[in-house]
Amino acid sequence: MRCAECTELLSAYMDDELMRDEQQAVRDHLATCADCASEEKTLALTSRRIKENFMRHSTPDVLKARIRNALAQDDAFTLAEPTSIASRRVWPRWPALAAAGLVVAVASSTITATLVQRSVAGSTLAGAIADSHIRSLMPGHLTDVVSTNQHQVKPWFNGRVDLSPAVPNLDSAGFLLTGGRVDYIDGRAVPVVTYARRQHVINVYARPSDARSNSAADAHERNGFHMIEWQSGGLDYWAVSDLNSAELEQFVALFKRG
Amino acid sequence: MSQRDIDRFERVVLPHLDDAYTLARYLVRDEHDAQDLVQDAVLRAIRYFDGYREGDARAWLLAIVRNCCMTWLRRQSGTKKVSFDAGGLSVADPRETDARAIQRSERAALARALDALPDEFREVIVLREIQELSYKEISDVVGVPVGTVMSRLARGRKRLASALGLDAKEAS
Repeated sequence: MRCAECTELLSAYMDDELMRDEQQAVRDHLATCADCASEEKTLALTSRRIKENFMRHSTPDVLKARIRNALAQDDAFTLAEPTSIASRRVWPRWPALAAAGLVVAVASSTITATLVQRSVAGSTLAGAIADSHIRSLMPGHLTDVVSTNQHQVKPWFNGRVDLSPAVPNLDSAGFLLTGGRVDYIDGRAVPVVTYARRQHVINVYARPSDARSNSAADAHERNGFHMIEWQSGGLDYWAVSDLNSAELEQFVALFKRG
Repeated sequence: MSQRDIDRFERVVLPHLDDAYTLARYLVRDEHDAQDLVQDAVLRAIRYFDGYREGDARAWLLAIVRNCCMTWLRRQSGTKKVSFDAGGLSVADPRETDARAIQRSERAALARALDALPDEFREVIVLREIQELSYKEISDVVGVPVGTVMSRLARGRKRLASALGLDAKEAS
C-alpha cells in the first residue's frame, strides 16, 4: 500500500469501517511507515479531543413540554403543515394555539413524570413561577378561560382573584391573547394572562407589589426560558416564555404601554 | 391517527429526543433555534409516521431533524452566527490552574474550528464523534453514500487537527 492510499483510508480505519482486507492492509502499512503511523496518532488524538470537549445535550424540560403539548393536540397528526420555523415572521396560527388550552390530557409518560419532579424543585418565588410556567405547557394546563378578547379575559378574573391584572390587546404586534387562568404561587391565587407568539407561549403573572421598589425591568434566565419582572400600577408582573429574550423584551415594552 | 399510533410514536421515536436536540444544537448553534427546529421536526415526524414501518427510529428522526436544520441554515446563510457556547468568551479566572486554562483554550480553539467547518463536514463530525453513529447510519441520516461519509469525515478531522495544531507536519 502506498502512503497516499493509506492517508485516504486512515480515518475510516480508525473507525473500524473498512472491509476486513483493507483494514488489514492499512494495519500492515502502519507497522512499516513512521509517517503514516504518526498521522494516525494525530487523527486519533483529534478524535479524542472532540469527544472530550463536546458533550451531548439533554432536551430542555420546556421543549419536552412543548412537544407533549403538540402531541396532545388532536390535529397534530393531520395538520396540513406544521408551524414551520421557516415562516417564523408570518402571522402565527393562533386558532391552533388557542386550541392547545382545550386539549384533553393524554396518557402520562416519562416526560410528564420529569416535569412533575421538577416542579417541586423551585423554592424561591422566581422558581415557583418558572415551575408554574413549565406546568402550564403541559396538556390542558395553559388556560382556564380561552378567549382572544381582552374584555372577556379581564372580567373573568373578578371574584377569582383579589386583584385585576392588565390585559392589553397586542394583536397588532403579533402577540396574541389566548386566555387566562389562576395559579397558586407562593401561597396565594395569582392571575395569569397568556399570550402566544408563533408556537411560543408567554405567561404573564401578576402579584401585589412587595416593599422592594425596583421599577426597572429585571430579567432572568432559567432552564432554557426567559423571565422578565417589572412593576406597574401597584402590581409586580412577571413575563415568562421560551421566546428569545429580545422578543420577550419587546413584548414587555408593549405590555407596559398597554 | 389513533391513540395506539400516538402511543407507538411516543415509545419508538421520543426516546431519541436528546439525540435530536444534540444534533440541532451543534448544527444551528443556538439554543432557542434548536428548540424550535426540534419541535418542528417532531411535528413533521408525526405526520410522516405512517410512512415509517420499522428500522432505525433514531436515524429516521435524526434525518428529519437534519433536514429541518439544513433548510433553515440555507435560508439563514448570510447572517453571521455567534460561536458555540463551548466556552472561550468567558474571562479567565486568575485562580485557574494552568492545566485548566490550557483545556479551556483548547476547547475554545476546537469550538471555533468546528464552527468554521462547512455544514456538510460539521454534521458528519457531530454524528460520528459526538453521537457515535456508524457510517451506514450517517449515510441514512445525511442522504449521501457511505463513501462520501468516509471522505467528508476524513477531511473534517484533518481540518480540526490542524486547527488544534496537531498537524502531522510538526510531528514529522
